[in-house]
Amino acid sequence: MAPRMANSEPIHIIGGGLAGSEAAWQAARTGAKVIIHEMRPQRMTDAHLTEGLAELVCSNSFRSDDHEHNAVGLLHEEMRRCDSLIIAAADKHALPAGGALAVDRDAFSATVTRAIEQHPNIAVERSEVAGLPPLEWSNVIIATGPLTSPALAAGITDLTGEDALAFFDAIGSDYS
Amino acid sequence: MTQDEYNAFVDALLSAELHQFKDWEKVPYFDGCLPIEVMAERGRETLRFGPMKPVGLTNPRDPLVKAYAIVQLRQDNALGSLWNMVGFQTKMKYGVQAEIFRMIPGLQNAQFARLGGLHRNTFLNSPKVLGGDLRLKADPRLRFAGQVTGVEGYVESAAIGLMAGRMAAGDFHGKPLEAPPETTAMGALINHITGGHIEAEGYSGARSFQPMNVNFGLFPAIAIAKPEGIARWKSVDKTRAKRKAITTRALTDMMSWA
Ligand SMILES: Cc1cc2nc3c(=O)[nH]c(=O)nc-3n(C[C@H](O)[C@H](O)[C@H](O)COP(=O)(O)OP(=O)(O)OC[C@H]3O[C@@H](n4cnc5c(N)ncnc54)[C@H](O)[C@@H]3O)c2cc1C
Ligand SMILES: Cc1cc2nc3c(=O)[nH]c(=O)nc-3n(C[C@H](O)[C@H](O)[C@H](O)COP(=O)(O)OP(=O)(O)OC[C@H]3O[C@@H](n4cnc5c(N)ncnc54)[C@H](O)[C@@H]3O)c2cc1C
Repeated sequence: MAPRMANSEPIHIIGGGLAGSEAAWQAARTGAKVIIHEMRPQRMTDAHLTEGLAELVCSNSFRSDDHEHNAVGLLHEEMRRCDSLIIAAADKHALPAGGALAVDRDAFSATVTRAIEQHPNIAVERSEVAGLPPLEWSNVIIATGPLTSPALAAGITDLTGEDALAFFDAIGSDYS
Repeated sequence: MTQDEYNAFVDALLSAELHQFKDWEKVPYFDGCLPIEVMAERGRETLRFGPMKPVGLTNPRDPLVKAYAIVQLRQDNALGSLWNMVGFQTKMKYGVQAEIFRMIPGLQNAQFARLGGLHRNTFLNSPKVLGGDLRLKADPRLRFAGQVTGVEGYVESAAIGLMAGRMAAGDFHGKPLEAPPETTAMGALINHITGGHIEAEGYSGARSFQPMNVNFGLFPAIAIAKPEGIARWKSVDKTRAKRKAITTRALTDMMSWA
């Protein structure tokens, strides 16, 4: 690709879930300035229970950790080699689960939250982006997940003219 | 579980009153996360061949008698006070769920911390609306990442976030970054969602975009030679060798990008 002019405006990341937290970490480690906009706890989703970044809403498993014979295990390993915050936090809080990478969800989320909040290049704003981002944000990542807030979803649909599809996913039960 | 316990459990699932859906809530399922009562409807034995498959376990109190069906519990917190019932997604009404799950031997007195339910998944028709650098064609200042791009799962979502973060940083510094090679898991995933789909093993044509977990079908094919001195190469061994070849190639090709 041809070199472009540097855009030294901050990167605005909407959503501090699995994707937004990793994106912020990766951008910040290159020296870029990042602002995360996370709507929780001000506005919760139907599945999230906490205000932690990278909350796991259902199972606590990152699935197989076999990087030689399993595709998701390979993905873990590639991400480790890219200094992934999510995988490093998962490794740190791994629980016994056979060949799977399963984690203590609260400790995992706390580690990610701390790493993001303490990073000198990252600011976290706790508010919903309720519609398309303002025009002066020139470098934006939308990482609002399966439960994107309705206001933002409507903005995106207006823009793309494409129906953002909705369907349903079942969640498992936990007992203690 | 014994055969009788299993049959009683399946009967209870079949008669459970389901959460009623409004008309607009059409419910297509992934095979990977079918509610257990839907599996039970598909056949009495389905659960026994799915999440309740009784393999690889010995009952220490009765080592000679094999279980007819099992339930796998996965530890959910470091204290060991919370356990997850693996593969037990459900859309049964809440009251009924606890009642039915307490039929499982050992769970008679369990407290249920979180019951199963159904939720929305919002995702873009990414192959159509996103460029190869995850930017929206209709408004390139917006880049997308995570499950909203049509990948599925924690790890896949974080992986797209990793690439989007690096690409946005590339723009910040005036050094645009390309996606990882398509022979890597990350490259295969981004390639799949942004529509530059390549001829892949075991993948037959028609592109109707559905959320995707990472899998070996997304990688470019790789040729491997049969090891010397083997008359017939068993297909399990061949599959294993092929996977090993794909993952070895991926980790080598990743080096230039990581
Ligand atoms: C009920 C359910 C069960 C699931 N079970 C599993 C499972 O067992 N295993 C698995 O691997 N995957 C599971 N998934 C999928 C998994 O949750 C996602 O793959 C993953 O969380 C996606 O990461 P993400 O960063 O894209 O979104 P999320 O992790 O959901 O993060 C999105 C963030 O954006 C915030 N947000 C949304 N809209 C706005 C807005 N307008 N402004 C500001 N912030 C906003 C949200 O609060 C949230 O913090 C499940 C999903 C659901 C819904
Ligand atoms: C969108 C989505 C939604 C999901 N929803 C749910 C859900 O609602 N509920 C849910 O439970 N899961 C859910 N999952 C997780 C998914 O179904 C898991 O792959 C499945 O539960 C098995 O996970 P696993 O950790 O055993 O990994 P696998 O890759 O299947 O297992 C890796 C290896 O570890 C072994 N192993 C795993 N756990 C143990 C253990 N405790 N003891 C001994 N050996 C073990 C396995 O047998 C296997 O050999 C979801 C995943 C996705 C992507």
